[in-house]
Amino acid sequence: MILIKNALVKTITNGDLENTSILLKDGKIEKIGANIEAPEGTHTIDATGKVVTPGLIDCHSHVGAWEEGLGWEGNDINEMTNPVNPGLRIIDAVNPDDIGFWDARRGGVTTVQTMPGSGNIIGGLMIAMKTAGNVVDDMVIKNPTGMKAALGENPKRNYGMQNKEPKTRMGNAYLLRKALVETKQYIKNKNEYDIRMENLSLVINKEIPLRIHAHRADDILTAIRISKEFDIDITIEHCTEGHKVAKELAENNIWSNIGPSLWQRAKVETKDITPATPAIVSQAGGKVTLITDHNIVPQHYFRIAAGLAVRSGLKRETAWEAITINPAKVIGIDDKVGSLEVGKDADIVIWTDDPFEPTTHCLVTIIDGNVVYEKEDL
Amino acid sequence: MIAYINAKIINVNDPEISKGLLLVNNGVIEYVGEYRDFADEYKVVDCNNKYILPGFIDSHTHVGNWGEGTGDYDGNESTNPITPAVRAFDSINIEHSSFRDALDGGVTTVCVTPGSGNNIGGQMCAIKTGGDNLDSMLLKNYVGMKAALGENPKRFYGQVKNTFPSTRMGNAHAIRKTLAKVQDLISKEKDVDYELKPLIDVLECKVPLRVHAHRADDILTAIRIAEEFSIDLQIEHGTDSARIADYLAKKKVKVNLGPSFWNRAKVETQSVSFKTAAVLAKSGVEFSLISDHPFYPIQFTNIALSLAHAEGLTREQALRAYTLTPAKFLGVDDRVGSLEKGKDADFTIWDGDPFSIYSKLESTYINGIRY
Repeated sequence: MILIKNALVKTITNGDLENTSILLKDGKIEKIGANIEAPEGTHTIDATGKVVTPGLIDCHSHVGAWEEGLGWEGNDINEMTNPVNPGLRIIDAVNPDDIGFWDARRGGVTTVQTMPGSGNIIGGLMIAMKTAGNVVDDMVIKNPTGMKAALGENPKRNYGMQNKEPKTRMGNAYLLRKALVETKQYIKNKNEYDIRMENLSLVINKEIPLRIHAHRADDILTAIRISKEFDIDITIEHCTEGHKVAKELAENNIWSNIGPSLWQRAKVETKDITPATPAIVSQAGGKVTLITDHNIVPQHYFRIAAGLAVRSGLKRETAWEAITINPAKVIGIDDKVGSLEVGKDADIVIWTDDPFEPTTHCLVTIIDGNVVYEKEDL
Repeated sequence: MIAYINAKIINVNDPEISKGLLLVNNGVIEYVGEYRDFADEYKVVDCNNKYILPGFIDSHTHVGNWGEGTGDYDGNESTNPITPAVRAFDSINIEHSSFRDALDGGVTTVCVTPGSGNNIGGQMCAIKTGGDNLDSMLLKNYVGMKAALGENPKRFYGQVKNTFPSTRMGNAHAIRKTLAKVQDLISKEKDVDYELKPLIDVLECKVPLRVHAHRADDILTAIRIAEEFSIDLQIEHGTDSARIADYLAKKKVKVNLGPSFWNRAKVETQSVSFKTAAVLAKSGVEFSLISDHPFYPIQFTNIALSLAHAEGLTREQALRAYTLTPAKFLGVDDRVGSLEKGKDADFTIWDGDPFSIYSKLESTYINGIRY
């Protein structure tokens, strides 16, 4: 058992509570209140003057599957031997020893959705997992949580340059449509078992969403068009030009998982990147989360992206939701994580001050009631 | 003639002033400090307690010469590992978005450098970031000769083309051999080829050799070579420099450090951290902080300052590393790098403390002109 005492507690779903304590028991949040009596032997952390928040949730990361500083040896997110690869599962590529998990823990990120890359039109199934542990199967919260798809430059570059399909945005959309048509036929005809079609059936049957990499406004609109044609759930990943189609994103009630915003104009399709996109989409009534796309932006700078979004006009409260409860909803695990509520997983971070400020430090990170990070040199 | 009154002034070398005054006359700073009386001719701008800072100086960028997705990558003349005669200045496109990004980040002077694909990559220049004519934006041409050790040249040549150099031994040899050749010609009073002529200034210590080196062993190789030829050295990146900080201090090696806000992009950058700056400061190593734009986007410069401060630099040390120190490294501190009488009126106005994420840059002035 752990008792965190006298903190400013940011619950997310129930406001900010001053001079409040939290009791953690059996990996869950047992109590939140002003005067909590803890039994003898409880590990007590005095958090007077500190800020306590739920563990942050990044719903678009490649941590574990795309290890930094390694070449092909550590890059397992893009099986670019075939542009349509729904049979793949990211869980088979996640290395819990990746230093990115340590970056996550020291940055207060306790849950990630780690996923295949955007080299393929259909890239494979993704998972949601905690950021501490040695056995990926034990770290998983939900599997699968979505099917990765991609529009825009990446697939057409990877294949087009080899003179293979797809070479154009038309080709991208065609291959995606074709795979979905085949899946519908597969479901209807129930012929021979096909693992690829089985995985894509989860999308057609609306058991999981198709999470579509789309930077440019036209790619975002293509994604929406296809989702309507096939009556499937989608999310927009990156959504770099979301500010240009904010109305459409809001009208269609689609999650925009926006970022990374602390990034260079790396590609033609990201040339109009602006940290104001989350604010503009949100003001139009759209639902937003913020993402790192780790290791494009390292996991421990996730909180800085939220501060930057606020500077660029996003309401502070919305920015908090965009890195906690909203990504939990996007993944479908908001019954377990994403806010400080009794009964939820004890995923908690203690900060020296406002976590959006670069000058603030993460002091303690707790996952499932266990301290998984403690700042030593402060 | 403009008088900026009621400003919180954060200047390098000085304590922060709460009700400060900045007088600008004809693009030059006439006065900076506590409020005092001034002549009626000045147009008064009330800053309402906003913050004034000297324009940031970034001593290692690719502003204007690095496509950022658009295809016009003019940073690496990667047809020959030894290209001292090429000049970064001839690759700069002032229409490029990176100039706006620099201004939005409060950066008023940048050093534009060739890339690190070549062992000797060409001449670096220092320019202002605002203006409509590159020649008039030039502060100083040839502020350093770019060189590179480590992964990049051996990848560009050895791995991609299967030509020399393909190892760290090869990298060192390429630089040594070239410097030795020029040194030999000078000593024999023979003509130096046009291609190698810019290295005479390096050997005569008129400009520094600025060596891209991430790993500690590469930094040490650079120091070794610099001592062999008695040349001025500056280290670019210096990712691993914390572990040899005392040695760097003893050798008085200058480090253009960064970008610290980065992923561990390569094998040689595994130790990337904002803590490195604090270690260098403690050891007495002179360093600037760099964006290497676009590798860390220059528009977010103040966030990098805050992170460096969070990891141990004082506010003053962090600001110095993005203003006066890089100005000195570039040899332009007579013009820029601090708010001082007689220096160029390059400054920024912020609506709050620039060390806070929430503060917005309101305007960037270069030579007194708002961009």
